[in-house]
Amino acid sequence: MADHIAVHRSGLTMPVVTPRFIDNAWRRGCDFINMDLEDSVPQHTKGYARTLIKDAITNVTKGGAEAFTRINHDLVLADLEGIIWPGLAKVNYPKAEYGEEIQLLDRIISRLEQERGIRPGTVEIGADIETSVGVANAYDIAAASPRVREFGGAGGYDMSRDLGVEMFVGFDQFVYGKGEVELAALALGLEPHTAPFTANTTGSVGDPDRAFREAEAARKCGFRVGGGLHPNVVEPQTRGFTPTQEEVDEAHQVLEQYRQLEVSGETWAETDGNIIDRYEAARARKLLAWSKLCAARDQEKAEAFARVEAAEA
Amino acid sequence: MAPASQPERAVAAPKSNTDVVLLDLVEFVAEQDKPSAREGLVEIVRQVRESGTDVFALVDSELLYADLHACVCPELTGVVVSHLESVAQVEEADSLISKLEDERGIPPGTLEMVFSLDTAQANQDAFEIASASRRITGLTLGRAELVMDLRPEPSGEIHLMQYLMQKLITVAGAIGVPAYGAWWRTPDRGLLATPENTGEAALRGRAIGFKGSFCVLENQVAPMNQGFTPSAQEATEAGKLLESYRAAVSEGTASIRQGDRIIDSGTALRARLLIDRAAACEAHDKAKVDALAGRPVPAP
Repeated sequence: MADHIAVHRSGLTMPVVTPRFIDNAWRRGCDFINMDLEDSVPQHTKGYARTLIKDAITNVTKGGAEAFTRINHDLVLADLEGIIWPGLAKVNYPKAEYGEEIQLLDRIISRLEQERGIRPGTVEIGADIETSVGVANAYDIAAASPRVREFGGAGGYDMSRDLGVEMFVGFDQFVYGKGEVELAALALGLEPHTAPFTANTTGSVGDPDRAFREAEAARKCGFRVGGGLHPNVVEPQTRGFTPTQEEVDEAHQVLEQYRQLEVSGETWAETDGNIIDRYEAARARKLLAWSKLCAARDQEKAEAFARVEAAEA
Repeated sequence: MAPASQPERAVAAPKSNTDVVLLDLVEFVAEQDKPSAREGLVEIVRQVRESGTDVFALVDSELLYADLHACVCPELTGVVVSHLESVAQVEEADSLISKLEDERGIPPGTLEMVFSLDTAQANQDAFEIASASRRITGLTLGRAELVMDLRPEPSGEIHLMQYLMQKLITVAGAIGVPAYGAWWRTPDRGLLATPENTGEAALRGRAIGFKGSFCVLENQVAPMNQGFTPSAQEATEAGKLLESYRAAVSEGTASIRQGDRIIDSGTALRARLLIDRAAACEAHDKAKVDALAGRPVPAP
């Protein structure tokens, strides 16, 4: 997976210690499964939980999803020793606060990749910003390792607790932090993992309509990364983050109009209230490339799914 | 903002009643037209300057040598440097301008620089970049939403722009220079908008701390000027407020109540600044009329 741009439209975070979640994960149709060792795993089962990851990687990826693991902020060495096995695509590191933490993770992962026959640089690091200190050091954290390829956070439960702000309010309580994190991602050329504000005053995690609206709004703002906690949101997120056929057609049209513009020697033109210029052309190209990646990813997952079903039959 | 590749438009721009003409070598000049646009640029600068308007050139930090060689002349007020990524580029631009000032008989240090922080890296390092040259007289986001590919949110706001605008205005305040821009919302993009939307963007822009903005179309100039000029009513109210405050101070109090509001030294200072701003706008408008009519304009 490391050779091409990641397609992470939908994913489920689930406790690795709950067999019924893990055993059914491959059927969900996600782009990724995030196996949790952190908040959803009881303290007394942390040691046991990390021994489950090696086999679970094979289990959750058989439907074509990528396997991620969220480790514990304070159990880095033990968790990494337990989880870095072939097939793991990403380590999510919660409450990242300093670039040095990411550099340490990078060194340990590099050693384990070498020891366990994994191509160097395969395992991505997801540095999640969930505290004020993390926001203050966002750029250093994002720049700390080439393994950080998607970068976001500065919202959610942990952030609201750290800042002492309410969680489910009708306004964006994280404007500043999200801005800092997103700007750092853009400045470093990373995939920003954030979203425009949409009010969620109930705290709902399983409403498919809402998940679709949020994903669609995020995609229209240029975001491509999703993820959630409830199986109901997988399909709506995958759909919401995928360009529609109509948008693909429009993008082709924009590129055609831009080609004509270039011939005319002008730098911009207005057609039916829409501006055509090099910026619109760049957006259209980006949309078409993303659309192709989504289609390839869907194809990959469909084939993997069919293989499992054939084997089981 | 007038494309340097269209001399007739550029030379006519002062008639739109704009305060500044920005001769564009970056955004609205096709790549193949840039060499010829550069060739005629000094002559355009001179002609625009004859009308009394300040003249800036929009230059590309990636094409600094070609662009600066093409525009630096005694009649040029300064340059707006776009697509900046680093402090090193600012230092390079500054030293090149110094060299050209020396070679072309311009008093050293007089050419101004406005930085267009339109890339993510420039906004990330905004304070360091803005502090890197003493020539700086302003900051703007330019067409950041296009350069950085920021898009409309469901609310109509352009994603990330509120954060970027506030960051820019804060950095500009810390450096002590004005921030230029307007608070655009969808469907406005890249400084293009209807006159009505331009006026609203200017009003919102002034409300959050911008002092003026570039625009692209002639019919945007009037609403832009209006939006950034305190209205007569605002100036009258500020005058009354100041009078009440002075009366209170002469009676030995530091704050008084006026209707539902408290007036104190901070409120009074704001009123004073608004009155000064309104007077400066009026004087500048008169100077522009005189200049266009060919009457002598007193030095500022």
